[in-house]
Amino acid sequence: MIFSISVNLLKAQEKFPVDSLRTVELQEVMVTATRNERVVGALPMPVSLISQSQIRTIGSLRLNDVLAEQTGLVVVPQVNGLGNGLQLQGFNPDYTLILIDGEPIIGRNTGSLELSRVAVGNIKQIEIVKGPSSSLYGSEALAGVVNIITDRPAPGRRLGFHTRYGTNQSLDMNIEGGVSADRMGIYLFANRYITDGYDLSPDSYGNTVSPFSNTTFSGKSFYKFNPSTELTVAGRYFEERQVLKFEVESNGSNVLTYGTGTSQDWNLNPVLIHRFNDRFQATARLYSTRFKTQTELNLERDQSLYYQDFFHQTFTRPEVVGEYFIQDKHILTFGGGHILESVNTSRYGDSGIQRQHTTYGFFQWEWQPSSRWSVISGGRYDFNSIYGSQFSPKFSTRYEISDRLSFKVSSGVGFKSPDFRQLYFNFFNSAGGGYSVLGTVVAQARLSELEAAGQIDSYLFDPSTLKELQAERSFSVNMGGQWKPTSRIDIDLNLFRNSIDNLIETQPIALTTSNQSIFSYRNIKRAFTQGLETTVNYKPSKHWQLSVGYQLLFAKDKDVLNSVRRGEIFWRDPQTLATQRLQPQEYFGLYNRSRHMGNIKLFYRNPDSGWEGSLRIIYRGKYGVGDLIGNIQGEIIPPSNLPGNSILDIHDDFIQGYALVNLSVGKTVKPGIRVQLGVDNLFDHTEPVFIPNLPGRLAYTSLSFNFQSK
Amino acid sequence: MNLLSRISSVSFVCIIAVILSSCSEEEVTAPLEAVTFRNLNADYAPLVFNPGAPPSRPLETKKYTFFSFKTGQVVPNSDSASLKWDIAFRSTSIIFNSGTSGPGNAGVVFASGTFDEVTEAPEAGYSIDNSPTAFAVSSRALASGATPTNEWWQNTGSSQSTIVSPIAGRIIIVRLAEGGYAKMEILSYYENAPATINNTVDKDRFYTFRYLYQPNGGRVLSN
Repeated sequence: MIFSISVNLLKAQEKFPVDSLRTVELQEVMVTATRNERVVGALPMPVSLISQSQIRTIGSLRLNDVLAEQTGLVVVPQVNGLGNGLQLQGFNPDYTLILIDGEPIIGRNTGSLELSRVAVGNIKQIEIVKGPSSSLYGSEALAGVVNIITDRPAPGRRLGFHTRYGTNQSLDMNIEGGVSADRMGIYLFANRYITDGYDLSPDSYGNTVSPFSNTTFSGKSFYKFNPSTELTVAGRYFEERQVLKFEVESNGSNVLTYGTGTSQDWNLNPVLIHRFNDRFQATARLYSTRFKTQTELNLERDQSLYYQDFFHQTFTRPEVVGEYFIQDKHILTFGGGHILESVNTSRYGDSGIQRQHTTYGFFQWEWQPSSRWSVISGGRYDFNSIYGSQFSPKFSTRYEISDRLSFKVSSGVGFKSPDFRQLYFNFFNSAGGGYSVLGTVVAQARLSELEAAGQIDSYLFDPSTLKELQAERSFSVNMGGQWKPTSRIDIDLNLFRNSIDNLIETQPIALTTSNQSIFSYRNIKRAFTQGLETTVNYKPSKHWQLSVGYQLLFAKDKDVLNSVRRGEIFWRDPQTLATQRLQPQEYFGLYNRSRHMGNIKLFYRNPDSGWEGSLRIIYRGKYGVGDLIGNIQGEIIPPSNLPGNSILDIHDDFIQGYALVNLSVGKTVKPGIRVQLGVDNLFDHTEPVFIPNLPGRLAYTSLSFNFQSK
Repeated sequence: MNLLSRISSVSFVCIIAVILSSCSEEEVTAPLEAVTFRNLNADYAPLVFNPGAPPSRPLETKKYTFFSFKTGQVVPNSDSASLKWDIAFRSTSIIFNSGTSGPGNAGVVFASGTFDEVTEAPEAGYSIDNSPTAFAVSSRALASGATPTNEWWQNTGSSQSTIVSPIAGRIIIVRLAEGGYAKMEILSYYENAPATINNTVDKDRFYTFRYLYQPNGGRVLSN
């Protein structure tokens, strides 16, 4: 069953239109888990899929809106308190790979990728694979992979407009169009989004989120040279401009600044697929992408330039992949490629342009020993010019006991290469008493210079043992199953454990003669995340669907846990000032992780009457808060850590659990004309300091036109 | 394990007490008492914010406040060259009457535990002040995630505002200027030891600490 579908590779989308919920349920296919189209239900690893119709029904505009409503995913602000990154299975945003059509989006800020850069108007579906996927995708796929599949040309002609207006003067406009025949087709999409932003703390200068506007163009085209050879070319251009107003600390006093921040990314992705025969097909792809940001701040008092920086990143990757079918029981996928990356930024000091390259090869063997049993195993070898080699194996298997009950287990290794900052930082900050941070690539040379200049007072760590950074690694196990007690109920359960080693932390290395610290980075930290995730889907009737999701999570620092177990950590009662030894059960874990989170979603969709609607309640349980202003340690220090230790224990302050209620209702008034109204965050829950990325209540209305002809 | 060792040390103390009392029945050894000293002013001066320059404290004296564990009192600055003081405070700097800081024989050993768990001063291993490179107690904050060596506080504020939080479970065992021993635990750096510190309102450089002084010159530090 799996294989017959995958053989009809290119026909899959045409055969199973994603618009209709029923066919989606029967025939959902995704590419992310195996790099080839496979039926979602038959995959042996935890996966989920968000369809275009679901995205439309909930009225979302940007990727962060959609992901924030999924079980086990949390959209968290970046270290500097702004933006939206993705937390998955308790991992920081740094550890989830985000792809568009299988190719990575670059341009991370302190490790976190800004999800709002991605408009969702042209998305066919979003595929999520949990658990390490470095065996196919290499670096960053430690926690999992989110792959955004954009629309491709559908047969015939189509033209669509979509506009949405809502709170904060937010206006979103889409236009999309496509024309396609048997041999060639093209689909184009443009989006413009303008908003006034919002201000959760009106007493302070500037907005929580300053006004910004952005524009996205994307497109996909294909040309079939013959029935077995097809070329597709996809591309994207994104540009954002934000008006900035900040109160910044300058030499200990606060000054008012204004300016602009811009960011841009673009990519081009030609892919050539050729089917040599019924058993073998090959794909050659070339992906090239650029990311640029620029910030400029001027002083309010005299308009003089206060601060400016730029960040340019490039990523280019040629890749060849082959897929080979042996009888009907085996599929071999193998491939290799080469990645060229560069970064040039003023943020890292005068380090100039820095480059690195990676060569990799991977294989995957899908085997179906019986109709009820499938096994997927594979691995990938990466060789990088900076941090050396990595081998990332993965093994998964699924067994169907009956049509109603199946079990699956998957286990693998994930890795994340040291980021540019950890390698190339060459930074002196005069604020906060003064300190320097040196990336490991530049540290030795810079320290020698300082020593020659007589500026090193003492070493806190022998710099000659400051080895090259290695990749951060995790070993993970996911196991679970699916049970369908009746045809209307579907219960999914997944238990997970991720054990992460070699985590990179700052290491103080030296003191200068003026008593300032110099930091570099080392692979010193170890942590784990474990828990369970469950989803129950219930379809009481043709038009209604109810789903309940829940995630239980424990995320802890292994070394801290060991110290607590050895009785080395204490806490002080702030009222009585009495010091007590912290008990292991009192250690809560890593900051910014909720032990419990869940959601209840009710969908209604009636194609006959044209009505559709949704009610979603998204709950996030209490969690410890970190310092939202990035500090030098790169670690999160709580602003209100009361009991005299720097770990999160039950005596600390927590952000209390909260639930967001989102509503939407839509009606297709005539074929191709749809009206929608909605409210997100109905009860206007906000937390100005600690959840700056949560605007208050947002009401909106939207109108769309879609014309289609065969 | 902990309990066992505590019982055995308690019984050991009992035995000692029994022997002592049988030897000299007239002498009744009063139990040692832990004392909490509140609001020792370590050169507090209000901050002045200067546009375009770091904030300053024009009124600070840059003088240490000296303290004697024996008397439990602040010692006048004029006695700084004597053995009358053991420890002195100035903002987050803490010095001891020894080495480059004073004529005495003071020294410091850090212990990890609760105040009551530290029952005896070690015989050796005391570090002394050697200005300017090495002080027995560091004035600097413990780096996040680092294992403490001679730090007594960590910064629990954000990068833009420092909050001086004494590290829980850091007991400072002090060999005194004139010999003899005491143990101390720093509890707060802010006036009246507020439970939640607001460093724009609460005055800093006010130490609250608990200490226990052994008057008989011995190393036993339990009550």
